Amino acid sequence: MTDKKTDLIQGTLDLLILKTVAHEPIHGYGIAQRILLTSKDILQVQQGSLYPALHRLQRKGLLTSEWRESGSGPMAKYYSLTAAGRKSLQEEKAQWQRYAGAVALVLES
Amino acid sequence: MPFPWSRMETDLKRELAHHLYELTAEFERRGYSHEEAVRMAKREFGGAEQVKERCRDERRWAWMSGLRQDFTFALRQMRRSPGFAATAVLTLALGIAANVIVFGVLQGLVLRPLDLPHADRVMTLARADQTYPIFTWPEVRDVRDGNTVLSAVAAWTMDSFGLEANGATRPVWGWQVSGQYFEVTGIQPFLGRLLDRADDAHPGASEAAVLSWPAWKSEFNGDPGIVGKTVRINKRPYTIVGVTPEGFYGTEKFMQPSIFVPMANEASLGGGDWLESRQSHKVWSIVRIQDGVTMPQVQTELNTIAARLARQYPKEEEKLSLKLTRPGLMGDFLGAPARAFLAGVLVLAGIVLLAACANLGSLFTARTADRTREIAIRMAIGSSRWRIVRQILVEAFLISILGGACACGLAWTALTGLGNWHLPTEYPMSFHILPQPSLIPVVFLVSVLAGVLFGLVPLRQILKTDPNDAIKSGSQSCAGRRWAVRDLLLAAQIALCCVTVTAAFVSLRGLSRAMTVDTGIQPKHAVLAKFELSTAGYSGTAADRFQRRLLEEVSHLPGVVAAGYANNTPLVNPAPGSPVFSQQTTDFRSSNQAFGAYVFVISPGYFAAAGTPLLAGRDASFTDTEKTPAVAVVNRQFARRLFHSDDAVGRYFKNSSGLSIRIVGVVADGKYLSLSEDPEPAAFRPISQEATAKTSLIVRIRPDSSDAATNDMAATIRKIIRDLDSSIPIRESSPLNTQLGLTFFPSQVATGALGLFGAFGLLLSIAGTFGLASYTVGKRLRELSIRVALGGQARQILSAALGRMVILLGSGSLVGMLLGVAASRLLSAVVYQASAQDPFVLLSVAITMVLTGSLSVAGPVRRALHLDPAKLLREQ
Repeated sequence: MTDKKTDLIQGTLDLLILKTVAHEPIHGYGIAQRILLTSKDILQVQQGSLYPALHRLQRKGLLTSEWRESGSGPMAKYYSLTAAGRKSLQEEKAQWQRYAGAVALVLES
Repeated sequence: MPFPWSRMETDLKRELAHHLYELTAEFERRGYSHEEAVRMAKREFGGAEQVKERCRDERRWAWMSGLRQDFTFALRQMRRSPGFAATAVLTLALGIAANVIVFGVLQGLVLRPLDLPHADRVMTLARADQTYPIFTWPEVRDVRDGNTVLSAVAAWTMDSFGLEANGATRPVWGWQVSGQYFEVTGIQPFLGRLLDRADDAHPGASEAAVLSWPAWKSEFNGDPGIVGKTVRINKRPYTIVGVTPEGFYGTEKFMQPSIFVPMANEASLGGGDWLESRQSHKVWSIVRIQDGVTMPQVQTELNTIAARLARQYPKEEEKLSLKLTRPGLMGDFLGAPARAFLAGVLVLAGIVLLAACANLGSLFTARTADRTREIAIRMAIGSSRWRIVRQILVEAFLISILGGACACGLAWTALTGLGNWHLPTEYPMSFHILPQPSLIPVVFLVSVLAGVLFGLVPLRQILKTDPNDAIKSGSQSCAGRRWAVRDLLLAAQIALCCVTVTAAFVSLRGLSRAMTVDTGIQPKHAVLAKFELSTAGYSGTAADRFQRRLLEEVSHLPGVVAAGYANNTPLVNPAPGSPVFSQQTTDFRSSNQAFGAYVFVISPGYFAAAGTPLLAGRDASFTDTEKTPAVAVVNRQFARRLFHSDDAVGRYFKNSSGLSIRIVGVVADGKYLSLSEDPEPAAFRPISQEATAKTSLIVRIRPDSSDAATNDMAATIRKIIRDLDSSIPIRESSPLNTQLGLTFFPSQVATGALGLFGAFGLLLSIAGTFGLASYTVGKRLRELSIRVALGGQARQILSAALGRMVILLGSGSLVGMLLGVAASRLLSAVVYQASAQDPFVLLSVAITMVLTGSLSVAGPVRRALHLDPAKLLREQ
């Protein structure tokens, strides 16, 4: 894999996971792959952070999970968004956009 | 699956396995061989265990499943090192049990109110001028009739009665109570009715008696038809009208009366007709305060009443001042010393607990140091520091719980034993001490607090553990280590234990002094028989005739060297004090008295029988009669106080009724009320001039006779009295020294209690010292082996291994002894004649500490000296 990987800013991982899961139920490996793909290989999520984050979000009631056949092989644990998760995603997203916009404003001034 | 956490574990494992599977598949897609792909995926994935551990931390059930693992692990650890576990549990149990026992006694005797309805309104009437709260009946009656703030005021006095029922006469202890006594208590009868105002209205108003529950059970087999039955008390018919409820033990916490009778009948029961006298202080008083009345209001009224009585009866009541105190322990007479003693002992118990905690702290620290490697390994494979701390906490918690359970067991056994213990006295005394179940949660709370708090002592040690360092260097890094927390803890613990040991020795010394103090009587080879002739209907000349006949018979028994009788016996049945006036006095108000003296009434031969040396003049004689001039024998202190010289024979003094009494003899001083009293004046009047039915017969046998002979003599005397008149209830007939038991009781209790704490302290310091010494030697085995291999001498090895221990022991003991000396003021409140400055005490403490120190390091020293370097170095 490429060397342009960037460490995630603290706290953004939860937002990225929520967003990724929002499309469709998806397993842990899929989440990491999709984030890598959509960020054009820049954001690589380590499983050492990914799985604890998934468990944390599930404990908070933002995600639910179920065991399903994965396309290729053994059973996999698929995560999907709960109603609370959907709400949280909206809020986090708005907050992030405000934040990013503000940072951009400062940098471009 | 049975447990949520085991399902979670499987899920987690499968989830991560799936991730690894996808990763492998990805590498295979990129064209690697399967084996290569698996290897690369594993490398990419990293430490699965670390990920799992972090996921567990995030999970809802994490803390519970973790805790379960911790508990299992802790139990396994304890099984693996039973020595550590047992020492820690025992330490904690001893420290806590000591406190629970002391607190249990404190609760039973001092803190717990009397078991009466609205007990907070019940108080004892007391005197402000003396601690012994004794009154005359007219005083109590005046308080009763002259106040507006007390709902009931009662007087009571105790007496030994001959209770004749079912054809046998037995001595029982009864309370003579005034009419409002049961109003004050507020209790309801278990059977029938209680005594009321009408029963006590005037002498002979009623012949009603109330039984206590225990007496109803023991004397009448719990007969349900008891109410209405007639018994004879001191030969007079009485009707049982009721039984008090089971938990009722009168209004004193350590007494258990058998029967209650109206006080108005006092004269007919043979007590001596003191009811209307303003000079016979015979009764105690107990009162109930009206609801809504405050203590200052009561005090104001009591002051008014006392002032009025002092004006009205200047001769008798001049110094009267009244107050209320807490009931249950004879006002402040027993209450104050009991509270002081228990507070002192509680401090010692606290010290024992502190020492136990220090011991626990050093145990945990040493153990953590032993486990550095294990902790490092756990950290290296992904355990968080918090997880390790939690593991240590769980272990401490388990030990606390076990310690608490052992402490409960110990304390319960001890308290139940105390509650069932019968004091060495004929008085109806027992401790109403019951282990309170409400103490159990407190025990466990204290236990867990102490365990967890001191289990956390090694926290810093854990938090700074660096896995790399610890595993690399193993356990060899401690030669020449710095002073650690555990050293300080050990020194502190030894100092604290030394304080308890000092206390124990001080009280032992006090007891041995008390045992050898000159009591003025010779308790060995003497028998004391006590009975009350009035309980069998004798009085006046009939009593006199009986007493003389008995003396005659006893004097002729083989082996008897002297015999005599008195109304009271010093220390066993203390005589009341009476005012003494100088010969010149004409106004006999109490402020004019020279001093108060104990006044005994004695027969000829009493001094010889009691073993009191006659210093000058003559003994009492039967030729002193009511028709001859009044005479008395006085003790030396009496002579010195009145005449400022020992030369008193032939001189005179007056009693409160103005009678001029000639002194015919002087005897040696003695102890009359308690062993710790200062020399007190005492006077002895011939019984032929002051007849009394109260009889204490003392018979002295040959000084070479055995203890068995003394016991035989006691039985013989009992038989002689019974042969003379079988209806006399004999209160006691036994060797004099056994009857003096109660006198030594306070010192014995103090010594017992403090000795126990001293032993606790010693045990703790042995455990602590041994633990740390063997730990030190164990840790440095390798270094010591090298020293031995290089030719180190025994002395060098020892100083290297245990030099620090010796410094710790020495400095700890020194500080402890200094503390003990500083605390001797506290100790003197607890023990009679306590002085920690006593060189004997200091020497004993020093020797004890050196002995315990050597004892506890002996094992480790042996181990250090018998090192086989070759064997050890081969092993490592």
